[in-house]
Amino acid sequence: MSDSERVRTIIETQTGYQWTDHEEEANLVGILACSVRQKAIDKVYSRITRWNKWKSRRNLITFISGCILPADMEKFLKLFDIVFRMSELEKLPEMIRHYGVVTPASLFGDLKRMPSNDSIDDFWRITPHYSSDFEAFVPIQNGCDKFCTFCAVPYTRGREVSRPSAEIIQEAQQLVEQGYKSITLLGQNVNSYGLDKKGEELSFPQLLEAIGKMGEDSEREFWVYFTSPHPRDMTDEVVEMVARYRCLARQFHLPVQSGDDMVLIHMNRKHTVDKYRQIIHAVRRIIPEATIFTDIITGFSGETEEQHTNTRLMMEEFKYNMAYIAQYSPRPGAASSRWADDIAPDIKRRRYHELSNDLRKHALVHNTDMVGKSYRVLVTGHDRKPGYLSALTEGKIVCRFAATEVALIGKFTDIVITSATDFSVEGERVAVAELTTGN
Amino acid sequence: MTQPTTKIPLATQAITVQETRNLTPTAYVLRFDRHQREFLAGQHVILGIKDENNAREYSVYSGENDEYFEVLIKEVLEGDVSRRLKKLKPGTQLQMDGPLGFFTLRPNEINTARYMFIASGTGIAPFRSYVRSYPQLDYTLLHGVRYSNEAYERDQYHRDRYILCTTADTNGDFNGRVTDYLRQTTIDTATQYYLCGNVKMIHEAFEILAQKGVATENMHAEVYF
Repeated sequence: MSDSERVRTIIETQTGYQWTDHEEEANLVGILACSVRQKAIDKVYSRITRWNKWKSRRNLITFISGCILPADMEKFLKLFDIVFRMSELEKLPEMIRHYGVVTPASLFGDLKRMPSNDSIDDFWRITPHYSSDFEAFVPIQNGCDKFCTFCAVPYTRGREVSRPSAEIIQEAQQLVEQGYKSITLLGQNVNSYGLDKKGEELSFPQLLEAIGKMGEDSEREFWVYFTSPHPRDMTDEVVEMVARYRCLARQFHLPVQSGDDMVLIHMNRKHTVDKYRQIIHAVRRIIPEATIFTDIITGFSGETEEQHTNTRLMMEEFKYNMAYIAQYSPRPGAASSRWADDIAPDIKRRRYHELSNDLRKHALVHNTDMVGKSYRVLVTGHDRKPGYLSALTEGKIVCRFAATEVALIGKFTDIVITSATDFSVEGERVAVAELTTGN
Repeated sequence: MTQPTTKIPLATQAITVQETRNLTPTAYVLRFDRHQREFLAGQHVILGIKDENNAREYSVYSGENDEYFEVLIKEVLEGDVSRRLKKLKPGTQLQMDGPLGFFTLRPNEINTARYMFIASGTGIAPFRSYVRSYPQLDYTLLHGVRYSNEAYERDQYHRDRYILCTTADTNGDFNGRVTDYLRQTTIDTATQYYLCGNVKMIHEAFEILAQKGVATENMHAEVYF
């Protein structure tokens, strides 16, 4: 989201192109790719094949950027008109203007090298056109040093580089002054923030503290989230900062990936289940009301039934509010792609359903416990149920309530929860939302 | 797990090969410029042929105080990078990313802890870097290979601290896998265990040590892929 907002800003302000929601009528189309899953890259090939067919019928320039492996990058150079690294975004208008005059082949040699973040500072300095007027994403870090074996990001985005804290705090402050209610600090491993500039830059807890103080000084109501932290660098200090400052939302997304130490070694996660357990205990001890989300990969190469059972036992122990569960698929470029994808699809599906059912059971207990209680929520839009609006609690539990006033969208209001399902709750509004700016 | 004392921000950079030192018909040490670049023993680098896509991770084999970087590489038939790196002449430029990684010793333990380093094959590389960097270490190095000629530069280690486990000949200190050795030996639960090598060995060793009462926080693993 943060990347696309910056790309849109550059295009709209420096090229004269205007945004359209209709792909069929566009003269400039592009993709910000994600290499985390092979499916996403497969979709890129499908989309560019279609666009290249359209070219015979109308004037169309295509571009691609984002998280791309060098091998895919070489193929994309043949398929797309413009290929660039996100750190080179400032050059995009020039590339578009020069389209048809020179090819981006001048970048070819550079693109084939291992990724570097030499120009990422330029990217961060671009003031984005935010796609929402109440929630925004602020990049605080680029790249990854962790080398999880299932992931290709270290090979596509390069090493961890922390954005200057002064820029982050300034962007967050401007968003708050503009009335934004939800700000998410983004990075591959947000809690490794500052470790690449030790002694010269704030640590992640210090960054949270600075944003927390800014929030207190502003006297405005807003929630700041961060995603996603890596368990290896997670400390009690981070949790304590969230507890100390009211604008730091009491919601933690803590990817665990597996509940088995052997699988975690195989994934090169650099943490054990016990280390992760200590983090969960710290969250529960310091902020009992916090919600906890996670990411899990099931059916990883060589995962035994016993190891899968250990993940289920972990879910039983930690009782997540939400888990993003993915069936393992090898990503070319990631270390695990060299190993056999030896868990049969039907077994992966069965394990996925078992974990999903475990999650549903625990989430329902959490959500049922909310019934009868009052919650502050941020109204995010129209709900699929006619006559209802959709909202999120501070803990990111989806909530809907009967209302049709569009003016409520992007505002806080109070809801008493009346019923619960596994992944959402329903409630009634108990107070008129504060509609003046700043709340 | 280990905590880094420092991390050095480094982008991809060109480095120059100084020499290649063959240890066996398939294993060799590649030495290249250090340019006063800082690193911590146990970290790895990513090496690739200049202007090409292929790159692989290799643990640093040299010590923190050496004036050069070295990596220990085993040539594998299906490994494009390892075969091509072996053929490089001195003066050839490579591209390198790093050093990076977290398989480092905890600084507050270096002078007081007792260590057991458990390696299979070229997994000995980070341990050689530890031993060269911290001569005062109280360690035992358990090295598992097939043949005794794969005891890469064993003269670098104190004779009483290096135990060679061989499976294909009987010229080592122990005939069998490192995991067989661990099963048969008394395990000190207060020792810090560092494991590096193939994932199968690490899984098996991890289970044996856990069964013998070693806490997971005293086991540290770096898997070679």
